[in-house]
Parts: sequence; C-alpha cells; structure tokens
Amino acid sequence: MTVIKLTTQAYCKMLLHAAKYPHCAVNGLLVAENQKRKDGQPVLCVDCVPLFHGTLALAPMMEIALTLIDTWCKENKYVIAGYYQANERIKETRPNQFAEKVAARIAENFSEAALIMVDNSNISMGCYDPAISVFEHHDNKWKCRDASIDCCEDWSEAQKIMSALLEDRSYDSLIDFDNHLDDLRNDWTNPEINKSILHLC
Amino acid sequence: MASVSDMYDVTWEEMRDKLRKWREENYRNSEQIVEVGEELIQEHASKLGDDIWIIYEQVMIAALDCSRDDLATTCLHELQKQFQGSHRVKRLAGMRLEALERYDEALKMYNDILQDDSTNTAARKRKIAILKAQGKSTEAIRELNEYLEQFVGDQEAWHELAELYINEHDYAKAAFSLEELMMTNPHNHLYCEQYAEVKYTQGGIENLELSRKYFAQALKLNNRNMRALFGLYLSASHIAASPKVSAKVKKDNVKYAAWAASQINRAYQLAGHGTKETKCSLKAVEEMLESMQIMPS
Repeated sequence: MTVIKLTTQAYCKMLLHAAKYPHCAVNGLLVAENQKRKDGQPVLCVDCVPLFHGTLALAPMMEIALTLIDTWCKENKYVIAGYYQANERIKETRPNQFAEKVAARIAENFSEAALIMVDNSNISMGCYDPAISVFEHHDNKWKCRDASIDCCEDWSEAQKIMSALLEDRSYDSLIDFDNHLDDLRNDWTNPEINKSILHLC
Repeated sequence: MASVSDMYDVTWEEMRDKLRKWREENYRNSEQIVEVGEELIQEHASKLGDDIWIIYEQVMIAALDCSRDDLATTCLHELQKQFQGSHRVKRLAGMRLEALERYDEALKMYNDILQDDSTNTAARKRKIAILKAQGKSTEAIRELNEYLEQFVGDQEAWHELAELYINEHDYAKAAFSLEELMMTNPHNHLYCEQYAEVKYTQGGIENLELSRKYFAQALKLNNRNMRALFGLYLSASHIAASPKVSAKVKKDNVKYAAWAASQINRAYQLAGHGTKETKCSLKAVEEMLESMQIMPS
C-alpha cells in the first residue's frame, strides 16, 4: 500500500493554518510532484495550500479553489494529492461527510489521495508528537492508517522548524484562500513563509 | 519582553481605541487583545476611567481564548468587586468554568441566573454553547430553535443556527435560517452570498437558478464581493451546461457567465500590478475560466 509522506514545508503550513484560527475549523489541499513513482515509493506531499476557515461545508468556493489550484498545479508540475481538515472541536478528530466527499473527488484524479485530519490536541509549542492522522481509501471507506508509520519525510526537522514558527507567531502572516477572496492581492502560495521555512532548514 | 507601546510606538490612547474598534466590530483576535489589553490594564488603569470595566470584560474573554486563566481571574475579580450580584458578571464566571471544561458547574451558574431572570438571553445562549462544545449538535439545534421561537429578532442566533445546520449538512434548514436573516437585513450582501452558496450546495436546476439570482443580488449590494462574482460564474455555467434547460435559458446563462468571467479577469488584473506571484494567479484564473467554458450546443 502506498505511503503518504509530508515535507517539512507541507506539514508546517498545514499546522500554521490550524494555529491561526484556533476557534474555527480549517481545511486545505496537499500537492505532490507529478511524476512516475517506482513501486513502493511513497507519495511525497511537497506543499500545502490552506483553503478555508469557519464554515467549511459549502460547495461553490471549494469548486473554485479546486479548479484554480488544479490549474496552478499543472503550471508547476504538481498534482493535488490530498485534503486536510482540522475540526472546530478539539476532541473531534474524525472526518465528516464533506471531508470524505472532497477527498473522494481528489481521488478520482489521483488514486492514492490521502485524507488528513489534524489532531488539534497534539498541537503544542514543543511539537512533541505529529499532530495528524492519515486516512486512506480502502473499499470505498476511509480508514485511519497505523499511527506508528512516520508521516513526515524528516520528523525531527519538521518538529524543530514547527516549534520555531509557532514561537515567532508566523501563523499571523499565513494566507489562506478565504483571505485571498477577501483581497485578491493576498497570495495563497505563501512565498514569504516558504522562505522562512527554507531559511530555518 | 518589549512592551506593546514600545514595539509598535503607540500611545495608551491608541491602544484603548484599538480595543474599542475590536470590541465594536466583534473581532476574535484574542492573542492581540490579551497583549494590548493586559498592558493597558497594568500600566494605565487609572487613566481609563469608566472604560476600564468594559475593557476588563473584553480582556477576560480573550484571556479565556488564550488559556490565560491567571489574567481571566484577575479581570473577573475586579468585575466581581465592582458589580456585586450582577448577572452579566456571573455569566463571565460561567464562561471561565466553560473554558476549564467544568461544564456542570457552568450550567449551574446559568440556571441560577435564569431562575432569577427567565428572560436572560445571554445565559440561555451560553447553555447552547455548552451543548455545542460537547458535540451535542442535535440538542444544540433543538434548544436554539426553541430560543428563537421566543426571541425571533436575535440575528446572532439565526446565524449560529444556519452554521449549525450547514455543519450537519442540513442545507434546506440552513437556507431557511438565512432567509430569516435576509428578510431583516435586506442590504447585507454577506447573507445573500451565503444563502446563494447554500442553495448551490443543495443542487438541482431550481436551486442553481436561485443561487445565481442571489449571487447577482449580493453583487448588486457590493460589487467587490469576489465570492459572489465567482459564484455567479459557477452557477450560470452549470445552468448553461445542463441538458434540462431551454435554449433561451442556456443562451442567457452563457451571457451571464461570460460577463462574470470578464469581471473576474478584470479584478485579477487590477490586483496584480507588478508582483510575479499575482501574475501567476492571473494566468491560473484565465486558464481556469477557459477550461470551464461551455461549448455552445
């Protein structure tokens, strides 16, 4: 079974999104490089596009975001490879119907798509544990993958950098698609944050 | 740790005014409120006059959001000293218990208030908030509906109900709640736009046509609402592409979609002056609109 892994950039931006809106549900997409993979090679999600915060379960803006980001992916030789969601309630870690629908739609285009749920209770300044659960599509159901499999390409690097970003309150400058719709000049590719992460590596 | 006034070169009056702006516009930027408010209270309390009480309340609620129980308790004590026996302050004490997840004790506080004053809306709404926090969405919805039967004019409650229904994927009831809001706030473009999104999500030609109309209405009320513009484009495109509509309806919707597309392009061009990143965005939008174009039948 193909394993999904996240680069430090993808993991950090996803958690920064959750940290920016602690009182809201948030969601977004994960993208991977569009290339042929050898058998057994994991799918590496290299970047994350934060989408919405607040009321997630409405279709139109999600459709626009998926189409726009799909076009952007093609320009950059990426493919949409996953969907993440952080629920509003700290103890709620299961995906809802909307999450499953979006993930299924992504899977139509990329069969090994992953559905990632952020585990809100594991987000801390020290970043002791990976704060996500990965769900994979088996027999038309989304099943949670064994937590012992490492989800990050380099967990200790991700941990170190995530901690530094949280200390710096970098989440204040994270732009999601909602922010972009509020003001088109807001850039959802987050080049400044990408630079900060690279700088910390 | 540098003080806020040093870091941002602001006076205490500017800090006080910022807090007021955030209070009046109902922002939930709790970290900032705590940062600014705590300094204001600690360094400039004597200059604030009677404003200090409402600032204590605002900072206390923000402190709860940030798990700063120390700060929240300080503010609460000051308020309890000044306004002994006040229901408004008792509600704040209840909120602190909620933040500590001591829901049973919080419930008791609110029930005490309601026994004293059965029309106290704040206490009733906190009880519903507890149900929401505990994940009891069905009960929260039921209680909120009962509340709204009595307090029909409570906008905040109608909006909360709409959001609860959306989260439960009950789009029909969400639409109904938003209709109430639109009736009492006909000039609010945000309600129009959200209603249109709900209708679109419900699906089916009739709902799509309604959604297009309400996206258009939202645009009339605020021609810079990008969501309404995108929504108009999407809904018109889908109607035009549907095999179930007449040739005239198809033709009309192709026109609406084309107009919306040109407006979207224009908006991106206006926003994109100069930076490389926004040029990428513009290109992506152009390609997206092309890829979604309806072939004339």
